[in-house]
Amino acid sequence: MTQTVTNPTGAAFDRDPLLEQILGPTPGQMLRRRVLGHQGLLIGGAVIALLALMAIFAPLIAPHDPFAQSLMNRMEPPVFLGGSWEHPLGTDHLGRDYLSRLIYGARVSLLIGVVAAVISGVIGTTMGVAAGYFGGRVDAVVTFLINVRLAMPVVLVALAVVAILGGSLTVVTTVVGLLLWDRFAVVMRASTRQVRAREYVAAARAVGASTPRILLTEIMPNIANNLIVVVTLEMAHAILIEAALSFLGLGVQPPTPSWGLMVSEGKTMMLFEPWLVLIPGAVLFTLVLAINLMGDGLRDVTAPENRN
Amino acid sequence: MKRLRNFAQALAATCLALSVAPAFADKANDTLKVAFTGEINNVDSYFNTTRGGVVLQRAIWDGLVHRDTATGEYVGNLATSWEWIDDTTLEFKLREGVVFHDGSPFTADDVVGTVEFIANPDSGVVTQRFVSWLAGAEKIDDLTVRLNLAEVFPSALEYLSGPISIYPSDYYAEVGPDGMGLKPIGTGPYRVESVKPGESYLLKKNEDYFDGPKGSPDIGTIDIRTIPDVNTQIAELFTGNINVAWRLPSDLAQKLDGTPGVMVTSASSIRVGFLMMDSAGRTGDTPLTDVRVRQAINHAINRQEMVDSLLKGGSKVVNTPCFPEQFGCVQEYVEYQYDPEKAKALLAEAGYDDGLSIEIYAFSNQDYVEAVAGYLSQVGITLDIKMLKFPAVLDKMMNDAAPMVFMSSGSWSLNDVSAIISEFFKHGAVDFARDDEILEWLDVADTAVDPEVRKEYYGKAIMKITEQAYWAPMFSYNTFYAFTDDVDYTPTNDEILHFVNMKWK
Repeated sequence: MTQTVTNPTGAAFDRDPLLEQILGPTPGQMLRRRVLGHQGLLIGGAVIALLALMAIFAPLIAPHDPFAQSLMNRMEPPVFLGGSWEHPLGTDHLGRDYLSRLIYGARVSLLIGVVAAVISGVIGTTMGVAAGYFGGRVDAVVTFLINVRLAMPVVLVALAVVAILGGSLTVVTTVVGLLLWDRFAVVMRASTRQVRAREYVAAARAVGASTPRILLTEIMPNIANNLIVVVTLEMAHAILIEAALSFLGLGVQPPTPSWGLMVSEGKTMMLFEPWLVLIPGAVLFTLVLAINLMGDGLRDVTAPENRN
Repeated sequence: MKRLRNFAQALAATCLALSVAPAFADKANDTLKVAFTGEINNVDSYFNTTRGGVVLQRAIWDGLVHRDTATGEYVGNLATSWEWIDDTTLEFKLREGVVFHDGSPFTADDVVGTVEFIANPDSGVVTQRFVSWLAGAEKIDDLTVRLNLAEVFPSALEYLSGPISIYPSDYYAEVGPDGMGLKPIGTGPYRVESVKPGESYLLKKNEDYFDGPKGSPDIGTIDIRTIPDVNTQIAELFTGNINVAWRLPSDLAQKLDGTPGVMVTSASSIRVGFLMMDSAGRTGDTPLTDVRVRQAINHAINRQEMVDSLLKGGSKVVNTPCFPEQFGCVQEYVEYQYDPEKAKALLAEAGYDDGLSIEIYAFSNQDYVEAVAGYLSQVGITLDIKMLKFPAVLDKMMNDAAPMVFMSSGSWSLNDVSAIISEFFKHGAVDFARDDEILEWLDVADTAVDPEVRKEYYGKAIMKITEQAYWAPMFSYNTFYAFTDDVDYTPTNDEILHFVNMKWK
């Protein structure tokens, strides 16, 4: 029961159980324990990992070409409603394999979720940290911008912009990314204000550290846990907005497979072929739920009050 | 326990109330309930651009002439006879004893008033094509009137039997288009009881309707409601809350067919779908200026399969830039059979063996557009689909920004090719071909009085349009109707619900 750890001087020594009892687990071990003990985080993470793998390896997994139409085989039911294993989830209104479109659709949803969260994260964090750290006029300007942004209904603005520019994956991702930075800014501003008042920041300033250095090495690591949570929330938000826009015909353009678009395309037949809407709807629901579970979990395991 | 019993009683009472309360649409109270999908912008037919508005127009007003939908013959309606005085003057004898819904008599003054109003461009009639051929009208006596044409216009009778209806001139002068839209008054088989714009329209049988060619109305009340969602319409149809749903998607109609209590019928329609291609190079350097690329696109699309699987019913493959039964739609053309190999060969010949990508704009029929994209991808053409709202697509077309458009035209239910070919090939804003020769021929055809000359020149135009593959004509549409089984009606091919011909079984 001995293990090799590195002491602060760099020399390796054998740690005996008695010492372990006195010192307790390392922070890494504690984190691991919290992660493994958090069901929501594990389930959410597993689902996201699964969907991410599905998206990445779509060409290998998908049984058919998601674009290959066969008008003679339209709207075949999924296998559990009496369909065949040739198309396990049936076919859509143009005879395209539903499962393949669902698998490729994961790419669109995850791509939009990640890229939009990164764009809005960069914008929002920059603004929030600047406002929180510098205060004064910078803070006033950023607060004003946040208020302006909060006064705009996201879906309506996105609808209008996409209607003017025409829908495409790039346009939708960019628009959504440019619209969702408000929560980043609000949370980062508040966290930065708390952290900048801490002694270690004052100490860094006292030893003459430059502002960028303080921001990057003192502030950022200490607000990162909040950032992670907001990232997950906004990812889910962006995915839902994409689905909504595509449903309204203003998002990703056909024939690109997107879950929102699939719901929209199945809508007219909802009364007689409800699975056309239910399947993509259920997957969308699962992904968003998983992301939220993971976000909640990450907050729980990284929050300072849970560290002890 | 007592509370539970009270609850049970209340529940039972509610169920009972619900089971008897709604006034179901049925024969018993002589009320036919109809669902319209879209809102009507103005019930005044000169300021309406919607199909629902056309339906109301035919119910509320009459034209001077009526075209029999079965035989295609023109018969007198508000007029009893007519005569061409010269190429641009048409004299009508009017029917005696006709009264408007408000009780005022119909006279030559009403015809003169209406025609003078619509012929004046300042009046702002939305579809100028309906009226721009009219210069004015003069009264000869109370029952005789002359129409003066702005140009030689051989299809005058067709337009007079369709979009041009006669309004009570004094009332119209007083209330204007907005007033007319809210409280319409005409001579038609149904009078308007109430209009709630965008929501509902209540019509009552005109008991004093004259014995005209439209027939006499049978059903007492027509209650029209706007229900935008087609699934809701179907649910309402099942529960008996509406009797008529129309312009249903083909898949839904097919599923509905065979449902007890519901009857599904379809009628082929004059509407034709087509791909417009920028052969004139208005959008700049596009592969579509090469005739071989356009021909390849024509060869690559399996229109028969689309008709069989997507449109169904009475739809047909169309090879001409017009509906085959329209006047002047001469069936001599260059035909493009479905032949992907030939399409690939043509593309290779044009230097596109590595494939090419084209933007396509459309505002409706997304499934058709996607199907076309699916076929074209088989021969190496990638379509970049842009689904936009109609005004946005029109804007792209008019500003030379749309290399390819999926479009359909119902020729405004006019049985004359001038309503489609001349609309799209006379160098107007939506002319993608800009062919001078075709323009010349169409000028002759549009203004010639002799029907044979018209046919000859439209025929020339059709031959060249197909030879050059300026369009890819696709198919004629089909309108699906669903009725509760107590309604007796045979749909016509003009995409119009004729309430006057509906009866209870």
